[in-house]
Amino acid sequence: MKMKVRATLAALLLGAAPAWAVLGEPVASVQSDQRFMKAQVREVAGEGYSWHEIKASEGTVVREYASPEGMVFGVSWEGPSVPNLQQLLGSYYAEFQKAAQSPHRRRGPLVVQTDKVVIESGGHMRAFHGRAYVPSLIPNTLTQAVVQ
Amino acid sequence: MNLRNTSDLVRFVGFAVIAAGLLLLVGCGGSSNGGGSNGGGNTTIVVSVSPTSATVALGAQSQFTVSVSGTSSTAVTWQVNGTSGGNSTVGTVNSSGLYTAPITAPSSNSVTITAVLQSDTAISGSATVNFPAINTQPISVDLGPTGNYANGLFTTVRICVPGTTSCQDIDNVLVDTGSYGLRVLENGTTPLGITLPQVTDNTSNPLYNCTGFADGSFVWGPVATADIQMVGEKASAVPIQVISANPSFKTPSTCGSGAGMNDNTVATLGANGILGVGVFLQDCGSSCISVPSPAPSSWPYYLCSSSGCVMAAVPLSTQLLNPVALFPQDNNGLLISLPSVPDTGAPSVSGSMIFGIGTQSDNTLSSAKVYTADGCGNISTTYNGKTYSDSSTSCAGGSYFDTGSNGLYVLDAATLGQGIVDCPSSLGGKYYCPAQKVTFTVTNTGTNSTSGQVSFSIANAEVLLTSNNGQNAAFNDLGGVNPGAFDFGLPFFFGRNVFVGIENQTSPGGTGPYWAY
Repeated sequence: MKMKVRATLAALLLGAAPAWAVLGEPVASVQSDQRFMKAQVREVAGEGYSWHEIKASEGTVVREYASPEGMVFGVSWEGPSVPNLQQLLGSYYAEFQKAAQSPHRRRGPLVVQTDKVVIESGGHMRAFHGRAYVPSLIPNTLTQAVVQ
Repeated sequence: MNLRNTSDLVRFVGFAVIAAGLLLLVGCGGSSNGGGSNGGGNTTIVVSVSPTSATVALGAQSQFTVSVSGTSSTAVTWQVNGTSGGNSTVGTVNSSGLYTAPITAPSSNSVTITAVLQSDTAISGSATVNFPAINTQPISVDLGPTGNYANGLFTTVRICVPGTTSCQDIDNVLVDTGSYGLRVLENGTTPLGITLPQVTDNTSNPLYNCTGFADGSFVWGPVATADIQMVGEKASAVPIQVISANPSFKTPSTCGSGAGMNDNTVATLGANGILGVGVFLQDCGSSCISVPSPAPSSWPYYLCSSSGCVMAAVPLSTQLLNPVALFPQDNNGLLISLPSVPDTGAPSVSGSMIFGIGTQSDNTLSSAKVYTADGCGNISTTYNGKTYSDSSTSCAGGSYFDTGSNGLYVLDAATLGQGIVDCPSSLGGKYYCPAQKVTFTVTNTGTNSTSGQVSFSIANAEVLLTSNNGQNAAFNDLGGVNPGAFDFGLPFFFGRNVFVGIENQTSPGGTGPYWAY
């Protein structure tokens, strides 16, 4: 069956998945990502932290929470598809993968809690959401509740 | 960077639609103008029958009326499938147009009622009578093909090369009200033995689909078309995904959440396929009609060629489609009906997936309350005075009913209270392990302001999953963590009739999307 489809080569330009700042890494990378992605970005100063909201082209919204020292201690996402978590979670992605292979595998939302990181990924097709944070990087004046 | 020509940054390639297998069978009822003119005059004689189509239960009666214009000789002869007065096979019709359906449906499952003008038998009008389709599809909860699936709801789906009798029954397909469209393993328990036509662009580049799930797993493979048959219902030439065992094209880095678990085997998927029969018509919807720029970080559709796979814009009709909405009848939704199970679990249970809502005597809403869903397919839930819902701009936080979620994934232990604690981490999966079964009552509210209390229980997952030597498969009280939201998974469905109202379809429950129970 032939069909009406349109292809874009935009993906090839990027070569790999587009970048966001990564959990547990310096927020400085956000700025370069923004320029590259031309995503809509909003920077908000909170009490004792700042966060960037990046609205990606496909409708997914990613928020990155940074300490005053400029470390990304939390990320959250929501939208029609699960964003590229390998990219977003960086070195913590391995923990996520490990949990997906636990002996009694869950079918549905996934929650990962290790001594290093907490990752929550939920929702259903066309409506996904989640967040991840590194407890040891959260400023003393805050709790994980700021990551929303 | 491997782009050869930056002027091609966003190159849209338009293609014609060749809708093979998409024969539009327009109901041939209606006023059929015999075309005969009267004695060389200008008056056209028209015979029309109303209603032009009707669904008549077997053995029941339905009145048809004829209208004749352009002549004073209005007497007609009533026929069923060309036989005056009909017969016991196709049903009978009397001289005043009262049709009586046969006791058993003829093989075509429909007949044509015709009123023939006696003064000029070349002129007639007709109507179509459809008989109710057999709409009750058996479903069961058992350990599935891997022998260890907890709360997996399975069924058997027949898929055919469109318009042919080249078919294969796929058993152990997971029934999932949290996704949309059919996905089948190329290498299931029995490998796919029929060759389905692939969906391609006009240079024969195949269209591939990537589906990412909340748990980070994904499936990848070509989009093909198939007729999908379940009991007496058939959806024709439906785009489905064939999950590749050894894909001809490498999975793009923008597929799903990155590089999660590839569910392309029976062992990893735990099923031979996934039948997505939730509240939406397509897997992606309007988001996929065009590829945004800059390129998204994850995307479901690709056109693949020897130079790789590029993101593809796909019209709604070519996306993976909820097959229920494509049935000729009983297409406005479905009912999942599962019996109760003991609190300690059961090795297996059988139930029904009944197609249509209010279309037949077996799928009436009855006392079920309709909770209209928002644009995310969700409703809201109130527990302990706090309401969990979507916002006007976000789909995070709302509640849904998902047979593909194997537990009651609700909030977190601290928020739930009442003795709920997480299981030891050795169990994996962040299930709940209270010392004793805990029953909760919450209030669900739809966007139509329908509100009602509902109760569910959560018991110790470690005990449940290991009791009976791990041979129990159906649990009404298996629960786990889902911070800030309610995912009413399969446990919710035991002992209930839960209706899934599909978007834009009308039914006695109103227009979907809605959930009703």
